[in-house]
Amino acid sequence: MSFFVPPSQHRSLRACMVCSIVQPASKFQTQGCPNCEDVLQLAGRSDSVLECTSTVFEGMMTITEPAKSWVAKWQRLDGYVPGVYAVKVVGILPEDVISDVENAGIKYLPRDGTATEDIQ
Amino acid sequence: MASILDQDFPDEEEDDFNPAPEVASDDEELDEKPETVIIDDDAPTRNERSRSRPKDGDDELKDEDKDAIVGFGREEEGEPDADADGEDDERLAEEGAEGAEEEDEEEEEDDEDDDIEGQPSRKRRKKHRRNQFIDVEAEVDEDEDEEPEEDDELPGEEMHPDDLQELPPGADRDDRMHRELDRQRETRDQLDAEQEAARLKERYGRQSRIQGTGTAIVPQRLLLPTTDDPRIWRMRCKPGKEKEVIISLQARIHERASGREPLRIFSAFERSKGAGDPMAGMLYIEARRVDDVVAAVEGITGVFMSYKPLMIPLEEMPDLLKVTKDKQLAQGMYVRIKRGLYQSDLAQVDELEDNGADVVVRLVPRLDYGLNDDANGPMEAALPNGQKRKRPLTQRPPPRLFSEVEARKKHSKYLQKASGMGSHWTYQGKDYVDGFLLENYKINGLQTEDVNPTLEEVTRFATSGGEDGTENLDLAALAATLKTNSGNEFLPGDKVEVVRGEQKGVNGLSIEVYGDVVKIKVAPDHGDLSGNVISIPIRDLRKLFKEGDHVKVIGGSKYTDEVGMVVRTRDDRVTLLTDAEQKEITVFSKDLREATDSGGAAADSKYDLSDLVQMDASTVGIVVRVDRESLRVLDQSGENRILLPSNISNKIEKRRNAVATDRDGNEMKNDDTVKEVGGEQKTGRVLHLHRNFVFCQNRERSENSGVWVGRHSSVLVVNAKGGKPQSTGPDLTKMNPALKQNGGRAPSPMPPPQSKGRDRLIGKTVKIKTGPMKGFIGIVKDASGEEAKVELHAKNKIVPVKKDMLVLIDPKDGKVIQGGIQSLSMGRAPPPGGMAVPGRTPGYAGMGGRTPAYAAAGGRTPAYAAAGGGRTPAWKQDAGARTPGYGGGQTAYGGGGQTAYGGSTSYGGGTSYGGGGSVWGGGGGQSTWNPNNGGRTPAPSGSKTPAYHGGLEAPTPGGYASAPTPGGMDATTPGYAQSAPTPGQNYGKTPAYQTPGYAPETPGQWDADDGPKYD
Repeated sequence: MSFFVPPSQHRSLRACMVCSIVQPASKFQTQGCPNCEDVLQLAGRSDSVLECTSTVFEGMMTITEPAKSWVAKWQRLDGYVPGVYAVKVVGILPEDVISDVENAGIKYLPRDGTATEDIQ
Repeated sequence: MASILDQDFPDEEEDDFNPAPEVASDDEELDEKPETVIIDDDAPTRNERSRSRPKDGDDELKDEDKDAIVGFGREEEGEPDADADGEDDERLAEEGAEGAEEEDEEEEEDDEDDDIEGQPSRKRRKKHRRNQFIDVEAEVDEDEDEEPEEDDELPGEEMHPDDLQELPPGADRDDRMHRELDRQRETRDQLDAEQEAARLKERYGRQSRIQGTGTAIVPQRLLLPTTDDPRIWRMRCKPGKEKEVIISLQARIHERASGREPLRIFSAFERSKGAGDPMAGMLYIEARRVDDVVAAVEGITGVFMSYKPLMIPLEEMPDLLKVTKDKQLAQGMYVRIKRGLYQSDLAQVDELEDNGADVVVRLVPRLDYGLNDDANGPMEAALPNGQKRKRPLTQRPPPRLFSEVEARKKHSKYLQKASGMGSHWTYQGKDYVDGFLLENYKINGLQTEDVNPTLEEVTRFATSGGEDGTENLDLAALAATLKTNSGNEFLPGDKVEVVRGEQKGVNGLSIEVYGDVVKIKVAPDHGDLSGNVISIPIRDLRKLFKEGDHVKVIGGSKYTDEVGMVVRTRDDRVTLLTDAEQKEITVFSKDLREATDSGGAAADSKYDLSDLVQMDASTVGIVVRVDRESLRVLDQSGENRILLPSNISNKIEKRRNAVATDRDGNEMKNDDTVKEVGGEQKTGRVLHLHRNFVFCQNRERSENSGVWVGRHSSVLVVNAKGGKPQSTGPDLTKMNPALKQNGGRAPSPMPPPQSKGRDRLIGKTVKIKTGPMKGFIGIVKDASGEEAKVELHAKNKIVPVKKDMLVLIDPKDGKVIQGGIQSLSMGRAPPPGGMAVPGRTPGYAGMGGRTPAYAAAGGRTPAYAAAGGGRTPAWKQDAGARTPGYGGGQTAYGGGGQTAYGGSTSYGGGTSYGGGGSVWGGGGGQSTWNPNNGGRTPAPSGSKTPAYHGGLEAPTPGGYASAPTPGGMDATTPGYAQSAPTPGQNYGKTPAYQTPGYAPETPGQWDADDGPKYD
């Protein structure tokens, strides 16, 4: 999977609120989310893209080998495709999307810090 | 106990499909906080216990590698009532197994009930729990069992006596079978667990926070890095370029993935939150070997290869990926703008978008309505696609509410009235409602932490809403913003009040502050709580102040460091009257502390009161007030200005020795008292002399702290510092026509009496000659002007006495030194003694008191002229007629003269004169005077012209020789002149006498010139 973001598109980067992958908005638009496309079906649906992805994210990480990387494991990204992910994604997924995700057998984990706060 | 469980919860929950504990933990958090110390709360344990009850069997060991639901039950093991569980199990076994489902449902219901009920006592809870089982499965037993069971909860292993009763003999052995049965049931249960989990998930799905891959569900603590995991190295890159580096790295990885040398790193990440973040410029790379790290980043723009990769310790790795939750924004909360025109301005959240990332905020707009636009520059709107020309932010306009009127002036074409609501405008594509700008921001463009809005800022948002002009400060919203502040606002010793939670209304003294919790000692009037130490989270506290408390503002407002007295408290706001200005200010109670000092504001200003400061090259001023941020300065033109310290170029040091001349040319120095000529006739003490200006202060004036400014030429020195008053009247020396007339002919006038330096009277012994203190003798301690301070010998007291009420006395014999004070004040040495030394000027001085005599002498001078001329017929006649008398007169002088005096005894005063005269007569040369005196007296009385003549004849040579000196004196002392007429009148019979008698200074001169003629 190709990943090259020209600097001009850095501003339009968005992060998926489910899997935290970071892509330009246009890519979400055309190809959808590489991990969650089955559930979210973002490709071609710009309102879904806006709903399920967020421009507010922090900490970019590039994951090369999700299976072996500790970072991926810790972030619970093992099993996802290699690519650029965000450490923190701020945004609230619409409730119906959450239930869709849950129904699809994916456990939705908000990545805005609420989950980890409980650990502390 | 509770806290331990708290900590473990989330982990449990991670690997647990059952989300219910999450709910419970939430509850307990809510319930617990305000009462951590007082109430020994074990609500959480209860919740867990009951929840896990159906699954925790006596054979927990089996469950170990099974599902998490059971694992949760494991938590219980350490609990004191594990034994009770055993009991339950037995009971269960006895009753026979039932469907787990049913039980479960019951459980949950009950739990919910519990939660609602609050916190029943421990006992009751126990009972309750038991009832859960009994209700369902042992209804029959309920009544009998309930009471006795309670007694026996703790014994544990032993069977309950009731149970024993119920059991047939040998029941103990049967127990094993029960256990067996139970175990089977458990096994079956666990087979169902998957389904169970699914069901629960269905029910609580939304609250579950469970990882999404759907494969391994491992608690995060089990994910902690091990030595088998790749390590993380830190590299540095250009701050701000972290994201770009990551993206380039990603591209490189991708490029080389299929190549000969794929990058052997597993991941790379950054955690920068922008400039200034401690993580800015940090790049973390996960790899097995450091070489791989270097190979991966080598050549990527922005990476500093000069820094060696630094391996992150294993235990610190999770911290690198820690995510902290942003503060949840709510409508009405305050935030600050991070960037742009409104940078660091306060904004209020107006609306939150559903996605949680966009926020509409209300701002006080900073608009210049095009007034500062470059008329020739391209219009902003003319640029394509609505993008604004980047204009240099020279000076941003001050924040002011949107004004439609202003906008119309130049930009009416950009202004549109939005349909619908009242004051809603669209101006240059932005919305303005009620004067506020509504602007959409991304949440990361807003500062949500440490907003610390000041009251001034907040009131700006508040005032507009009130239609009747009242403030509608949204205190709740404000509190939400403010309450998150860290604990440093509370200090041990503060009086505090609990404003929320169970202890609401309780007040006390804070004794310890740690983290977000304050330990307070409850004030005495709170019943059972009194004197207890309780812990309260900071957000539930506020400082307590009473009316009359003396407080100091410690921060968060422009009033920092003001000290004042509390006059009113309302909720969080405290109004105080400042000590410095007697002004009422309102601040938040959190910004106040009890004040121990009375120090006013502005202790830190560079400039002090009464400093002379330079504002620009030609303007100086004097500081008349120092405020927190500004100075009030009275400039040289008398104008009062308020300046910032930065507007002042420098302070002019006070020149101690500055001297100037006043209107009259008198010397004027600092601290002299001066008076304005004309105008208000202000007086004041000189503070500064600068160029042509004099800055004076008069503490009796209130305006400008009593400071006024004038020109040198418009003031007169009234009183030099510590000196005697300068004459304020006309200068007599200049007005004396005589001196002018006589010009060069006259001997140069004596310098006006002047005292230089210390008043000579000081230290002299004086006697008070009039007034209530008459007769007292004392020493002059201080003298100035017309007054002297006399330390009395009799009383140990210093009294002010007018100088003319004093006479100088000889400290040794107490004799009065006549004229001593006058001579002292004229700067001459005092006469050493009385009149003991004859024939000298002092004799004159002695005679001073008897001016008439003198005047008589002077008064007579014209008579000489007449006589000398001898042409007056009357005289001639006289002379002719009495020539013998003349002669006789002469003789009479020898001794007969005395007789003549004797004749004049009737005169009274004459007698003594005579006597005096005779003495003098005896004195020889001086006798010339005697005839004068003596002769005169009888002359009027006896009307004997001859006697007169005799008198005239005799003195001429001697007497007049000595005359000139006194003559000179006569001239200056009018007193002499005035006394002249008196004798003149006495001689009144001859008009010739009178006329000349009035001429004041003539005698001396006449004498000098004409004396010889007589001879």
